[in-house]
Amino acid sequence: MKQSSLTRQLIGGVLLAELICAALFSFVAVGHEMHGRRRAFDVMLRGRADSLLGAVQDAEDPEDNVVVDPTELVLPKPDVYAVLNPAGRVLGQSQVAPPGLIRGSGGSNKPTYYSFKANGTWYGAIRLDGVRVIDRDDKGGLRRPVTVFYASPTSDLWHEAVEAVRFYVAAGALLLAITGIALVWFLRRRLSPLQELAAIAGRVSVHSWEFVPPGSVLRTAELAPIALSIEELLKGLRQSFERQRQLTGDAAHELKTSIAVLKSSLQLLAMNPRTTEQYANGLESLLMDTERMEDLANRMLTLARLEEAPMEQGETSELQSAVRIVAERLLPLAELKQVRLDVSGEGSGKVAMQADDAEVLCSNLIMNALQHSPPQGCVTITVDSRDAVTELRIMDSGEGIPEAALPHVFDRFYRVDRSRSRNSGGAGLGLSICKAIVDRSNGTVRIQSTVGIGTQVIVTLPQSKTA
Amino acid sequence: MRVLVVEDEVRLANNIAAALRERCGFAVDCAENGVDGAALAEYQHYDLLLLDLMLPGLDGLSIVRQVRRRRDMIPILILTARDERAQVVELLNAGADDYLTKPFDLGELLARAKALIRRGKGVSQPVLILGRISLNTVEQTVRCAGHLIDLSPTEYRLFEYLIFRPRAIVSARELLEHLYDYNWQHHSNVIEAHVSNLRKKLRAVGEETSIATIRGRGYRLEAPEKQL
Repeated sequence: MKQSSLTRQLIGGVLLAELICAALFSFVAVGHEMHGRRRAFDVMLRGRADSLLGAVQDAEDPEDNVVVDPTELVLPKPDVYAVLNPAGRVLGQSQVAPPGLIRGSGGSNKPTYYSFKANGTWYGAIRLDGVRVIDRDDKGGLRRPVTVFYASPTSDLWHEAVEAVRFYVAAGALLLAITGIALVWFLRRRLSPLQELAAIAGRVSVHSWEFVPPGSVLRTAELAPIALSIEELLKGLRQSFERQRQLTGDAAHELKTSIAVLKSSLQLLAMNPRTTEQYANGLESLLMDTERMEDLANRMLTLARLEEAPMEQGETSELQSAVRIVAERLLPLAELKQVRLDVSGEGSGKVAMQADDAEVLCSNLIMNALQHSPPQGCVTITVDSRDAVTELRIMDSGEGIPEAALPHVFDRFYRVDRSRSRNSGGAGLGLSICKAIVDRSNGTVRIQSTVGIGTQVIVTLPQSKTA
Repeated sequence: MRVLVVEDEVRLANNIAAALRERCGFAVDCAENGVDGAALAEYQHYDLLLLDLMLPGLDGLSIVRQVRRRRDMIPILILTARDERAQVVELLNAGADDYLTKPFDLGELLARAKALIRRGKGVSQPVLILGRISLNTVEQTVRCAGHLIDLSPTEYRLFEYLIFRPRAIVSARELLEHLYDYNWQHHSNVIEAHVSNLRKKLRAVGEETSIATIRGRGYRLEAPEKQL
């Protein structure tokens, strides 16, 4: 992909605008100069035509004709002229009189200006109608009307006008060059924060999240929001990246520890000759270790499935029935632990959740409550469906969760009391799975707990509309 | 020798403890969390610290720092399920002596444990020699001029502890602390009984090296001057 440079574009744009301005300025200057010179030229033509008129004299002949006496006139060589009487007779003319010089007829008192081309030269011409009075006496003398045609080449006019504005054109070109250089320098300097930003952003990688925009960037109104949003974005990315890494690390830790238990158990068993009974005991604990590992793997896979695979549309289940099924299944355990299971609820409603997931959710939560309940304790489960919301509450009379641990209970592999839950087989994934299930159904799950009194888990789920 | 295992995975801790007891004849105590582990380590009864890195309460790194701040020279072997370079470097720099990543080989763990204890006592070879007597820490045997001396496990452990520091006075209390774990009822006269048995067995093979009783202070392993 061809890249366009902002600096180059800006410099090019400004220089082009300047160039157009300079050209326009030159054009107007030349036009203005031409106009002035044209007027001066016309005045000059008029003056020369007048002096030519003054050179019309009595011919001293019987018909009292007039002739042009050019002896007293000093006219520039390239100029041409002709003087005619109304009858069209030439009273006098320059040595060369081009054909285009004589034009139009008399009658107008005002001088008329025109131009013509002859022998490859442009001429500016005037036609002046005048009256020459000869033999002036008391009665006024004889009036002899004449028409003067006078023309002068205009080729010099352009040349002179351009000469006159040449200074301005040169000054403009110089200005253009100076501003061009100044612009390059200035833009390079002013756009340096942009380059710094690019350089710093370019240094960011998975291994180096360092992104500290320099002061020059933050002081630039246009760049500060970009830099700040990059910073914000990187912070978020880094956090999520690190969370992911932490999770992978935690998962690896759990798996490796499980394998370490299996491996060391086997090696210990093989280390010395044992009695049959010792072997039997060793195998039994190995089987338990393997089952724990199987459970861990299953939970990790469940969590991965819940977070990766999208929710299947139209899957609904009834939370009430899931609670009943799970409570029935856990009743023997509750009796064993001498804990009372109280299930109540009103209304019924379907939630957008797969039946299996609903059972896993209820099972994990009720199991947690049971495990943390003291003998003679009570686990109260209520499911209420009203106002398009289904609410599941599970209350236990256990030891409660310390306040510092509450924000982390949904974190994967988090255990409030690690050694204790290890003994009971927990990997710290139960509540993470619950949260993933509830999240998939657009619900919320929260935990309230008071140390010494008990814990309450509240799951709120929107009721499925497709039901 | 007495080892402290700080590991929250109880099954793993029990396996390590059993292997250390069976194969090395060490006394082993286990702690399930970092706080208990750090508290036990403070007694300085141990000849080796086996630490899990991720522990509830107090993590392995903090325990290492705490131990080294006390200027405790005890060898520390770290068990970790994470083998991230930076973390390993940080651990070693904090004062840990060695590390093993889980899942590890139990045999390797025992070998490293023995090597660390050896090094901790300023010895590099696995066979310790005093005069005509040689003690093989790998085979857990004691020989006098090539002849095997038949010792009970406790006698071997006692002799092993003493031979690491020949000619130094070791108190009965220290021997108790370093040879028995917390599950054992402390009776100081048991040491005297074992020492006396040991003396008999040494004398039986005609060995002049003897364990002298220094009244009110303890015991000293002494080799005859000419054998030195």
